Amino acid sequence: MTKVVIIGGGWAGCAAAVTAKKAGAEVVILERTDLLLGLGNVGGIMRNNGRFTAAEESILLGAGDLFNICDKVSRHVNVDFPGHKHASFYDVSKIEPAVRRAMQEMEIEIMFRTRAIDVDISDNHIKSIILHDERVIEGDIFIETTGSTGPMGNCLKYGNGCVMCILRCPTFGPRVSISMKAGVEDILARRKDGSYGAFSGSCKLNKDSLDEEIVKKLNKDGVAVLPVPQEDINVGKLDKKVCQQYALEEYAKNVVLLDTGHAKLMAPYYPIDKLRKIVGLENAKYEDPYSGGIGNSIRYLSIAPRDNNMKVNGVKNLLCAGEKSGFFVGHTEAIVTGSLAGHNAVRMNKGMKLLELPISIAVGDIIAYANSKIGTPEGLKSRYTFAGSVYFNRMKKLNLYSIDKNSLKKKISRLDLIKIFEEKLV
Amino acid sequence: MTKKIIYECIDAGSEYCPCYLAETNDCITCSHLQGKEFCDCNWRGVCIYQEYFWNGKKAKIARKNFIGKILDKKIIGDNLIIFEIEVAKSFARNLKQPGSYIFIRDADKPEYFDIPMSIMYSDENKGRIHVAVQIIGTKTKSLVNLEDEIMVRGPYWNGVLGLKELKTLKNSNALLIARGVALAPAVHILNYLIRNNNRITFIMDKGKFSEIFIGDYLDESKIITIEADILNQKGKLIVQELIRNNHYDLCFSGGSDPQHKEINNLLREFSLNTKYVITNNKEICCGEGICGSCTMRVGDKIIKACKSQINTSYIFEKEAE
Repeated sequence: MTKVVIIGGGWAGCAAAVTAKKAGAEVVILERTDLLLGLGNVGGIMRNNGRFTAAEESILLGAGDLFNICDKVSRHVNVDFPGHKHASFYDVSKIEPAVRRAMQEMEIEIMFRTRAIDVDISDNHIKSIILHDERVIEGDIFIETTGSTGPMGNCLKYGNGCVMCILRCPTFGPRVSISMKAGVEDILARRKDGSYGAFSGSCKLNKDSLDEEIVKKLNKDGVAVLPVPQEDINVGKLDKKVCQQYALEEYAKNVVLLDTGHAKLMAPYYPIDKLRKIVGLENAKYEDPYSGGIGNSIRYLSIAPRDNNMKVNGVKNLLCAGEKSGFFVGHTEAIVTGSLAGHNAVRMNKGMKLLELPISIAVGDIIAYANSKIGTPEGLKSRYTFAGSVYFNRMKKLNLYSIDKNSLKKKISRLDLIKIFEEKLV
Repeated sequence: MTKKIIYECIDAGSEYCPCYLAETNDCITCSHLQGKEFCDCNWRGVCIYQEYFWNGKKAKIARKNFIGKILDKKIIGDNLIIFEIEVAKSFARNLKQPGSYIFIRDADKPEYFDIPMSIMYSDENKGRIHVAVQIIGTKTKSLVNLEDEIMVRGPYWNGVLGLKELKTLKNSNALLIARGVALAPAVHILNYLIRNNNRITFIMDKGKFSEIFIGDYLDESKIITIEADILNQKGKLIVQELIRNNHYDLCFSGGSDPQHKEINNLLREFSLNTKYVITNNKEICCGEGICGSCTMRVGDKIIKACKSQINTSYIFEKEAE
């Protein structure tokens, strides 16, 4: 039996759990908090721009489970908003229990309120994970999906302090970089001005605090664009954002609200007094982070160097996915990398060749492209997402972007990869 | 590979955190306050770095000396005094947890007469604490003639090692072994364990005193007490056979380092899964991690024993090597 231990129950960790389980492993997820999905609990944007392609490719590869759940609990589908087409927004109030149930049905073990703080490693081979209470979790293969956000000291030194985001470090304790504990140095992102890390890109407003007309519009269309008073327009703030796909001028001149259950405000943070000057937001109140008027969480301070099959360099039995595996933005990107890592965990334990996804499909290309760029100074300042910015431009240029399900199916069949993640290996 | 050493600062998250150690990049917990660039801590509360930042990048106000009124002074034999001292109720409340101690001295003497003393009993309703002082050296002899007032500094908490094990024990069986002046902290521990519904066997050794001085502080209807001299053959046999036959969930040793070690050896031989809690015998001098007199080497780490809580297995593992 192959025992795969996944550290971190966010989107990447859940995706890895699904494919590792499908490949036949015994799977356990160690999750620091009391919820799966991490930042996914306040996210919601799927299928916008190239993410549509990536989602469809993943479904064809046999890793469609989580995408299907997102589709099922979507509040809106096929929404266009500035710079983005055919998006769907899953309901953040429904997604976590739905994913949790699916995991439980698949008999994936989840250990909540269980924080990994160290590894027992010899000869570059991890024997076990050491938990906060000194318990020891043994395994054959380990997948790190701890993300790269926080903890509080980082959010203070590189941001505006703890703003009480969904990760809830004061309650559950700090994220620990497992690859670092295994002796592999983290890679750190930089902003345009050279400082470390980047702010998370959006906050959420309580919908009940918004003007009735705006709520109506959000419920109907999924999106509302509200003009910012002339004196408050600040184009420079866009540089601070991680989500470069939303760093468009339109996002400086307007506030863009999306309906994910909360009203997702597409700005890293926005002082509440300025926010309340916007027509319709006179009573606005933050839902996440609670101090969204002050700042947001700081991300990309903990990336592990890896191969294109998601194996961490320098450790024999550690894979990684999600933000831990590159400067990726978004749930789709986490699920894509997580799916590959989970599948490869089982191959690794069997001594099989690890799967590398071909660069002729978007999900393979983004993994390889992000990796090829991470060694460059410019690469440390870029983020990669199917949804926009440099990588979506690349997708369009290389003809990787498609919303035609049939042509995608033909392509994946031609590559002989249909349902590869469904294959039971042990 | 050597086992990773996990230890925590007893003061982390308290009203005294961050302390002076933060100002010099010597914080026990926070990597930023050790001069590092990124987070790498194991603290599960509000960020110490954030507290430091909000406090204007300086230490919180440290514990202060104050004059405590001596309400009662009981002299037992020729080498033991029990002081009952009046303190603020909040101060007494802060000394309710096992392992609590204070510094005391003659108010007319300089600071280097400060001596750490375990709290034997604390009454937060009346604002009274009891400490037992063995008269043994210069510092303690200077306390003999005090009648009305005594200088106090506190609260401090790291008087026992293995606090986490102690505090999480519920509905279980525990063996307490204390000799001499260590009977005092044992009282505190005993009461804590009784509150958590544990069943207790208590071996009491009067040591170099004329009597077991904690009789007034025990309710012998609730626990099994055994009086013994644990240094002689008979006493040693009692300890050994109790451990061998009962497989206690937790064992506390109050006394000297050789005593700790001997009991640890018995536990290793007869009852490997018993959690082990000991009095912290390091030479605690300032209690603030500054003076360095309490440092101990555990694995490849140098640990300040006055502030660091550590699982006792790490300490004895090192000695076994």
